[in-house]
Amino acid sequence: MSQNQVTPREALTRLGASTAEAIAQVLEQFVPGEVQRGEVSVLPDGATPFTNLPFGAVAASVSYVDGVTGANIFLMTPTGARALAAAMGVAPPAPGEAGAGEELSELELSAIGEAANQMMAAAAGATSVVLGQEVEISPPETRVLDDPGSAVEIYGTAPHSTSTTFVITGEACRLIQLVPSAFVVRMARAIDELRMEQTNPADGAQAGDGWGQSADRNAGSISLRDALSDINLRVWAELGRTRMPLGQALELPLGAVVDLDRASDASVDLYVNGLRFGQGRLLVTDDGEWAIRLETVAGTASAKPQGVGAVALETK
Amino acid sequence: MARVLIVDDAAFMRKVLSDALASGGHQVVGEAGNGAEAVASYQQLRPELTTLDITMPEKDGLTALAEIMAIDPAARVVMCSALGQESKVLQSIKLGAKDFVVKPFQPARVLEAVSKALS
Repeated sequence: MSQNQVTPREALTRLGASTAEAIAQVLEQFVPGEVQRGEVSVLPDGATPFTNLPFGAVAASVSYVDGVTGANIFLMTPTGARALAAAMGVAPPAPGEAGAGEELSELELSAIGEAANQMMAAAAGATSVVLGQEVEISPPETRVLDDPGSAVEIYGTAPHSTSTTFVITGEACRLIQLVPSAFVVRMARAIDELRMEQTNPADGAQAGDGWGQSADRNAGSISLRDALSDINLRVWAELGRTRMPLGQALELPLGAVVDLDRASDASVDLYVNGLRFGQGRLLVTDDGEWAIRLETVAGTASAKPQGVGAVALETK
Repeated sequence: MARVLIVDDAAFMRKVLSDALASGGHQVVGEAGNGAEAVASYQQLRPELTTLDITMPEKDGLTALAEIMAIDPAARVVMCSALGQESKVLQSIKLGAKDFVVKPFQPARVLEAVSKALS
């Protein structure tokens, strides 16, 4: 095995980061421009993750049930849950109507559960890519925690846990992941194998620059930059996409021309381990190899026209 | 216009699908909240088309699909899946599903898939 084996903390941080990214992408479809993702905190082993929950917190939980096991609990304030449900098309009771200003309706809770289902399905897909094995999820369970102290009784504890903060429509939310030791071991081994697969360290150096979100340090959390800066990641550029029925794809003959959705002079997307990292222009280097001149980086407003990264081109 | 059975464990999704189908002139003849209910409802209602969620309690969508196809090999089923469940979508196509839509979806995408499945 590798000389630089991934620590449980690194594995948990990576799990939290990929889960948070997948969740944020789904949430963005419901509340465009109103999703902020915070740091992933790896909690001390044996710590109780359900601290400082607001009264009436809405909890939507989805478990990993095959491939790996573990629980994911998305916690929202009642106001945040109502806002998300409204964004999904479930209007709150109007003033004067039954239920107005009171607890969430069954349909609102169902919408929150469906959001959790879609978020965790996407997260399970991302985790499946890392593990190289399909991860299945359970149906969601949604409940209102009238007694925040009951969360531990309901969801139990695990040897490891992470906490990731989000702000959705201005309301603070939190994802708690309860992670069994076996999952951590699998994750660490998979990341270790990914490292060993990498043969071009320059790729990893380019990718690592984009992960850190904050220089803030505190005792209970570890920044993504610290945890991931030495991990080699797959980097590729995407020229464009199209959709076609499965049957048509299977019958594509050699020599077929498949139109993509981008003009030849449009910018291309740069992906880092499956996550869209930025956009740039396709170049040919003096050595005759493809390269990307970075123009935008996800999560930043500034253009970076000076950055040129030599990346492997993989068609998706 | 078709007689449609909607299967999803989330009441919210059943409503979204029902509204979308109604806007396209289809008639929702039944709703089911899990795979077991789906199979029972299919036998009873014999809908012209069924929308089927994948992740559900008691009996998941793939198991229900296999049972529905065993009951009626000509069944027209459109799967509704979340992002990240692509492998299950492929399994469902192999089992006989006509098409799939990925959540969250626009009503037009549902109607397109239904129209294609009925054609």
